[in-house]
Amino acid sequence: MTTVSHAVWNSSTEGGDRDALYLRRTLRSGQRVDHDGNVVVFGDVHAGAEIVAAGDVLVFGHLRGVVHAGAAGAETARVCAWRLEPVQLRIARMIARSPDRGDEPSVAPEVARIEGGQVVIERADRADDGRVPRG
Amino acid sequence: MGEVIVVTSGKGGVGKTTTTANLGTALAQSGSRVCLVDADIGLRNLDVVLGLENRIVYDLVDVVEGFCRLRQALIRDKRLEGLSLLPAAQTKDKTAVTPEQMKGLTDELRQEFDFILVDSPAGIEQGFKNAIAGADRALIVATPEVASVRDADRIIGLLEAAEIPPARLIVNRLRPQMVRKGDMMSVDDIVDILAIDLIGVVPEDEQIVVTTNRGEPAALIQGSRAGEAYRNIARRIKGEEVPFIDLEETSGFLGRLRRMFGQA
Ligand SMILES: Nc1ncnc2c1ncn2[C@@H]1O[C@H](COP(=O)(O)OP(=O)(O)OP(=O)(O)O)[C@@H](O)[C@H]1O
Ligand SMILES: [Mg+2]
Repeated sequence: MTTVSHAVWNSSTEGGDRDALYLRRTLRSGQRVDHDGNVVVFGDVHAGAEIVAAGDVLVFGHLRGVVHAGAAGAETARVCAWRLEPVQLRIARMIARSPDRGDEPSVAPEVARIEGGQVVIERADRADDGRVPRG
Repeated sequence: MGEVIVVTSGKGGVGKTTTTANLGTALAQSGSRVCLVDADIGLRNLDVVLGLENRIVYDLVDVVEGFCRLRQALIRDKRLEGLSLLPAAQTKDKTAVTPEQMKGLTDELRQEFDFILVDSPAGIEQGFKNAIAGADRALIVATPEVASVRDADRIIGLLEAAEIPPARLIVNRLRPQMVRKGDMMSVDDIVDILAIDLIGVVPEDEQIVVTTNRGEPAALIQGSRAGEAYRNIARRIKGEEVPFIDLEETSGFLGRLRRMFGQA
């Protein structure tokens, strides 16, 4: 099931009929995307926006909102962004939040995943296992 | 046919009413026929800021409910020929009007005025929905504070959902010294976060407080910095290219260079 609140797009016209929901727009504060599969955003996700996906979340833009990948429990889910600076990031049942005193700005594409029982973030071009999240 | 522009912000107290009064004044000064609509029903202010409170007989709700004709409720400004005000009701609440009625009202005003500026209440509820109902475009007012910018972002999203064309941004109450010291968000920071076009920057200016209390918008006063900023925004609304006044004074070569290195 896919629900998108306060938004003008419609998943059936943007490739949402398949596994991945493809959004070509900016998500602004107060906008929320809920999707059963993977979510691909070609745009920015502003602070105050939320993405909840059963699968992976890929953002080809600045990710500053809250994102929950693997929301149905998939611990293998990943979050990848061109610039990864989320207020809060959840994968399956793990929750990571941004530091209280100003985060280092993200300077390269990064991937977040669960490793050793916690959320780890690494540069996308240095991800050790060489696997890229499937979108 | 006139154009309907809503002035809105999400967050309260950031300067919507001040902006509406000053832009209306500046537009009327430059020869346009302008009607200001106070859509903040139950908390009307615009009449006070314009010094017109004592002239109110009928209000917006009276028009909508058919107690009077639109023309009877319009108040002529005491200084500027081309400026009129449609006051809000003070004793009713926002549910007294529907978005459809607001749209009807603004469409009627289009026949007689070049610009209809609608002063929106704070929030995203019924009052906001009424204010945007008839709008062709929107001006977003934000102050250089995180909460204000966040609310502005929310409002921009709601305007997009309502299919009102991309809003333009007014940054209000900027304090250049604080920006220079790194204690306040810069205009660039705000534009970067909101990703919409800037139409003007209004500095923090004591004269706003003085003129507001006198019921005489700062745009009327030569030498007022905020007044000048509003006059420039009015010209931009009319499609003129007006260079931005550099309030931050950081755009020297060194400033640029530092910023570029800082972001790597
Ligand atoms: N540039 C400025 N410099 C100094 N004071 C300002 C400036 N802009 C607004 N103010 C002051 O800020 C206060 C709030 O302004 P205003 O009433 O226009 O906000 P508003 O957004 O309409 O508020 P509300 O949400 O309650 O309708 C007023 O006292 C006003 O005089
Ligand atoms: Mg107001």
